[in-house]
Amino acid sequence: MLELVDLGKSFDGVSAINGVSFDVGEDEYLTLLGPSGSGKTVLLRLIAGLDRPDAGRIVLNGQNITNKPTHLRGLGFVQQKYALFPHLSVRQNISFGLTNHHSTPISDANEVNRLCDEMLEIVGLSGLADRGVGQISGGQKQRVSLARTLVTKPKLCLLDEPLGALDANLRERMTVELRDIRARLGVSFMHVTGNEDEALGMGDRMIVLDKGSVIQIEKPADVFSRPATVSVARHMNNYNILPGSTRNNHFVFAGSRLSIPANVENAAFYVVGIDKVAVEPVEAPERKDAASIDATYVASEFMGSRVVYLFERQDGQVFEVERHLSRETPVNYIPGETRRLSWDVNDVLTYAPDGSLVNNSAQLRGAA
Amino acid sequence: MHHLTKTRWALAVYAALFLVFLYGPFVVMGILSFQQGPEGGPQFPIIEWSTYWYQHVIGIAPASRVAPLPVGDALIRSLSLAFATMVVSTILGTLTAQAFRTKFKGSGFVFYLVVLGMMVPGVLLGLGMSLVAAQFGIDRNWWSTAFVLHVVYTFPFAFLVMLAIFNRFDASVEEASLALGVSPRRTFQKVTFPIIFPGILSAMLFAFTLSYDEFPRTLFTGGSQVTMPLAIYGTFSVEIHPNLFAFGVLTTLFSFALLSVYAILMGLSARRLSVRSTGIQEDVT
Repeated sequence: MLELVDLGKSFDGVSAINGVSFDVGEDEYLTLLGPSGSGKTVLLRLIAGLDRPDAGRIVLNGQNITNKPTHLRGLGFVQQKYALFPHLSVRQNISFGLTNHHSTPISDANEVNRLCDEMLEIVGLSGLADRGVGQISGGQKQRVSLARTLVTKPKLCLLDEPLGALDANLRERMTVELRDIRARLGVSFMHVTGNEDEALGMGDRMIVLDKGSVIQIEKPADVFSRPATVSVARHMNNYNILPGSTRNNHFVFAGSRLSIPANVENAAFYVVGIDKVAVEPVEAPERKDAASIDATYVASEFMGSRVVYLFERQDGQVFEVERHLSRETPVNYIPGETRRLSWDVNDVLTYAPDGSLVNNSAQLRGAA
Repeated sequence: MHHLTKTRWALAVYAALFLVFLYGPFVVMGILSFQQGPEGGPQFPIIEWSTYWYQHVIGIAPASRVAPLPVGDALIRSLSLAFATMVVSTILGTLTAQAFRTKFKGSGFVFYLVVLGMMVPGVLLGLGMSLVAAQFGIDRNWWSTAFVLHVVYTFPFAFLVMLAIFNRFDASVEEASLALGVSPRRTFQKVTFPIIFPGILSAMLFAFTLSYDEFPRTLFTGGSQVTMPLAIYGTFSVEIHPNLFAFGVLTTLFSFALLSVYAILMGLSARRLSVRSTGIQEDVT
């Protein structure tokens, strides 16, 4: 439906977006994950027509809209800070796009009210229609902002960190509701976020953006289990990343020789999931096809359903081990004691000095 | 605690003095406007309280040796001039401030060029304008040459007020409107304008009052048909009678009425914008 071709944009000579190409399909929930400063808001503004790209094309349903003014594009755009009209009530905010549309304004007040009520119902705000937008909470503002956009029935709705300003509880509830609302209305969502949980949990597909370029476009589960670059892996918040180099079919990290998957050469990063690591006594026998390092226990972090143990590696950095409490009971280690941390070699991902994935996918599918 | 009360007293005295200096002249003028007429002069004591001079101003007093104030036409001229100046300056000021919302090449230079209009001494500007008019054979009139100078003078004020308003204006609401498929023109009407309306009122008030009692520029460029400040000044050179004070009280009351309208409109739009999440953070007064 929407296709971006080689899009580029720079501000004062500094590149913000560089060679970005991807497409958004019909009836799809696409999430776009990027750290702050990765150009994700710039990208949304380009698609919405609020900024003009320096290079590339934006094609909507086969029509080049690269230079079309915003109001003629027919896309929805839900802003980060809601941007509700402060001088209008909730109902007036929602009906604004209906009654003031540039080509097809609805003048029948009954029809407008009916559509508004319907949308208020969907976003769960019935009864608040006549409130001023200053008299409602953050989560309600978020819904008004969403309702205001969805009531105009865009085919594609752009959401700029829609949950960013909400507290954790509300965030979780809105996650579910957003997916629900989208599915009911059959609108495509392109949801931009800096939060990996949101991007992983909500998207049918996800895009990882870093420094203005697309790094990976895949299903969230694939991005999670097979990050395309070491920086994506870092962003997943689920991996221990050990720097070093390969020598004689081993990976050398801070003096330790670690086993590596077959056929890996020239790796600079050795990456293992925090939930794939076993904690053993130092004197435990070496297992076959396993790698291990000795590390000093520092502390643990209790997170409700899981616990994360923090160890200090030989190079002074933190090594995390995660345990799900549904499967194991928490163990109490003594701070300062040394433990052997080991893992299966098939669970290891290796990355080249330029950050790209070295393992071939066949091995990984076996590991996953 | 002792120190605090001392500071309080000092501040209270300061405030009292401020009020005395602010309203003193007006109170004196107000009292003297009720002097007996037509014999009573513009000084204390009050011989006898009367409303004679008010009758004299509006032309219902019996004829006397005191000539009626030549303010009737002058007042209408001043009001029309102030009104026209207000409309033109506010529109120009708003449009210019709107242009300054996006950085453009030479914006700094243009900014100072605009603000220069309020920096140049009025007498010089008036003189210069009259020279230009003479050079090009243009008649000097309150509605032509003087009007242009009034706009030149008040436009920077309106511009600065609107600039301050736009500085605090959150453009994302306009973008939201555009993204909803609303044309830029309608977006301005329905979103931008209502939000900046308090600022526009302030700009209008500035332009009106500045033009209403403008003296030096009008003196040189107004031609033979004088405006109100010039007419009043003209009577000083002959003899001062309390009818001037009565007129002063009446125009001040008129100004108060104008301010009340401003305050009411401001209150109305502030209530609509009352507790808000976006846009201008508080109303501008």
